[in-house]
Order: sequence, then structure tokens, then C-alpha cells
Amino acid sequence: MSQPEPIRVFSVDDQPLIRGGIAALINDEPDMRMIAQASNGREAIQAFRQHRPDVTLMDVRLPDISGIEAMIAIRREFPDARIVMLTTFEGDVEIRGALAAGARGYVLKHIPPGELAGVIRRVHGGKKQIPADVAARLAEHVSDEPLSERELTVLDRVAEGRRNREIGELLGISEDTVKGHVRHIMEKLGVHDRTQAVAIAVRRGIIRL
Amino acid sequence: MAHPIRILTVDDHALLRGGLTAVISTQPDMELVGEASNGREAIQQFRTLRPDVTLMDIQMPGVDGIEALIAIRAEFPDARVVVLTTYKGDVQAMRALKAGAQAYLLKGSLQKELLDTIRDVHAGRKRIGQEVAEELAGHVSDDALSAREVDVLKLIAEGNSNKLVADRLSISEDTVKGHVKNILSKLGANDRTHAVTIGLKRGIIVV
Repeated sequence: MSQPEPIRVFSVDDQPLIRGGIAALINDEPDMRMIAQASNGREAIQAFRQHRPDVTLMDVRLPDISGIEAMIAIRREFPDARIVMLTTFEGDVEIRGALAAGARGYVLKHIPPGELAGVIRRVHGGKKQIPADVAARLAEHVSDEPLSERELTVLDRVAEGRRNREIGELLGISEDTVKGHVRHIMEKLGVHDRTQAVAIAVRRGIIRL
Repeated sequence: MAHPIRILTVDDHALLRGGLTAVISTQPDMELVGEASNGREAIQQFRTLRPDVTLMDIQMPGVDGIEALIAIRAEFPDARVVVLTTYKGDVQAMRALKAGAQAYLLKGSLQKELLDTIRDVHAGRKRIGQEVAEELAGHVSDDALSAREVDVLKLIAEGNSNKLVADRLSISEDTVKGHVKNILSKLGANDRTHAVTIGLKRGIIVV
């Protein structure tokens, strides 16, 4: 019987050192092979079309579009694409966003290399992979009500140090409406004040600075 | 031929250490002598191995890279350490350089820049990546926050009112108000929330 074809892996990360580490790990495994690399989201979409990898390891934070946006674009064209998000970032909001957009796995970059090879094999086999640490992070906020688009816009302005009145003028709404949004934001995030709302939102990946 | 440059890598991400190993192994004048995954291990490994150049991450569980750097240099004042990090904020870079790092480089740097930096630092020169240098230059005339002001900013970021901050630090509310006023003016912030945003962006505080 002939050997099965090796799993063809594609790595997307803006840090060449991480790509190098992944390549070294993959090439040590007899049943997988690194076939392409990309350092940003646009390159990732093009390279995917060209190479049609079996499994893609995608960083969430890329210099142009986010890894999640790149994944959405790839999956629109190739609905069967098997993409694992590989990131340093553990905010529950980005994890949830990635899974909702069709990621087959979400793993943190401090994963031991041997485990990453296991994740690649299982995702290639059609399974989903969410390690326990990521699942725990997700579970903490699973019943939280997400912020609305409008609330996110308001929170971005709050982070810039703008007063409610100013925010109202910028968004063409009344100061009272802004106050209402801020109150809802604080309730949803379970915080005491607008400053803590910003700090928590940054930690959870709800807003980025 | 001269002895190869003996290198110790310190990072909690095994994948990144793997990348460093791969790069170093292609260089005939360099040799990887050890790896550590946190600050405490780094200090132990340094004592045992006495590497020529140490590549050190900042954010690690337990003892962080800058604390490890300080401990290593207290024992071995000639230790040559390159801080290799994802942090662009000027404050972390300043902390590292004050602690005696010979170089501060971003993990996104090109391989050539990394190798040049290792050779330069081994030869006794200092190096700061251009992106970091620009960040530093942008804030060079800023008045740095005092340790107390940083404490106050951290407590504000946790959602404490001035009164609660005062209780926590056992100082008067008026003193806290004075600190907050100085923080806003030093950071050029519109209000306390903006101060937290700027503090996070520049690496003064982390959440």
C-alpha cells in the first residue's frame, strides 16, 4: 500500500520567526509538509487560491486586513477551507468572531509544538479543535450580551477621551442618547465606570487601540 | 576560525524559539547553546551556560524578561542581552534599555536585521530597531510618570474612583486628584479614560 499524501499546510503570520518555527515543526513531521507562507491577509487570499492547502494556520492580527477577514474571504470562495487561527491573543470576542466565521480551530501560540501537529491532523480529519484554555476563556462570557454596532462606536470615542456631549455631536445624536449607550455598555461589560469599560474592552478584544 | 557566538533564547512561545533555532542554525558563526521559557529559567540557564548573547522576550509568565535581564546583569555586568518583543510602546523599550539591554528589536523584524543585531551586540555595539527608535524619539522630551503615578493609573484602569484609589494607596483624595492632574498633563490626555488608553498603547500599563 502506498503512503497517504502528506497534509499540505499553509502558514500566515507577519512574524518571520513564527513562520520559521512552524515550518521547522511541520517539516519534522513525516505526514505533513509546509507548502506556502504569507505575511499578510491579502497575500494569504492569493496564495490560498494558488496552492489550495489542506490546512491553513492563520494569525488573527495581520498588518493589512485581520486574519478573520482573510478567513471569511477565503471561505466565501472555498467553503471547505480548513483554517486554524493561531494567535497570541486570548480575548473572548475575537475567539467567538473567528469561530462564528468558520474557523476549525483556535489555538494560542504558546501551544507546545507537538500539540500543534495533533491539531493539524485532527482538523485535516474534519474535526474542530478548541483547546481547554481557549474554551475556558470563551465560556466565561458565553451568556454575555454583545455590544451593538452603535455602542462600539460610542466606546471607541470614549476611549479617545471624548465627553458625552462631544460624542453626541460627532454621531449626530443627543447627549442623553449617548448617556444611555454608555450606561448599557457599562452594564453589559459589568464595570463601574467608563474608564474601566475601555480597559476591559481592550483586554477582551472588543476594541483595539 | 573564531569561536561561534554562543546564544541563549528565552521566550515562552516554543514556536518562536523554534523559529530562532532555525535561523541561528543556518549561520556558521553562531551556535544555539540553550533555551528557556520564562525569566526564572533564563537566569538559571545564564549562570550555567554563560552565553555570549541572550535573546530575551519581555512578556512571560512569572518573572518577566526585564526582571530577568536586571537579575542577570546584577550578577554578570557584561551580559549581552537583545530584547526581542512584540511591544512597540516606547515605555517598555525605555525600561529595557535602562535595565541594560544592548538591543531592542521587534519580533516582526527581518531575519537579516536579527542576525546583524546579534553580531553587533556580540562585538559590543548597541542597536535599536528603527521603528522602536522612532517611538522613543517621539516621546524623548516627555516627562515620565513617577512610580506612584503609574500605580494610580493602574487603579483607575480597574474602575476605581479617586476616593477608592485614595483608600487603596492610603493617601488623601486630594493627593490622588493631584496625581491624576499630573498624569493627564504628562500624557497629553483629555480625561482619565483617555489617559488609560494612552497608557495601554504606550506600554505604561497592561490589562
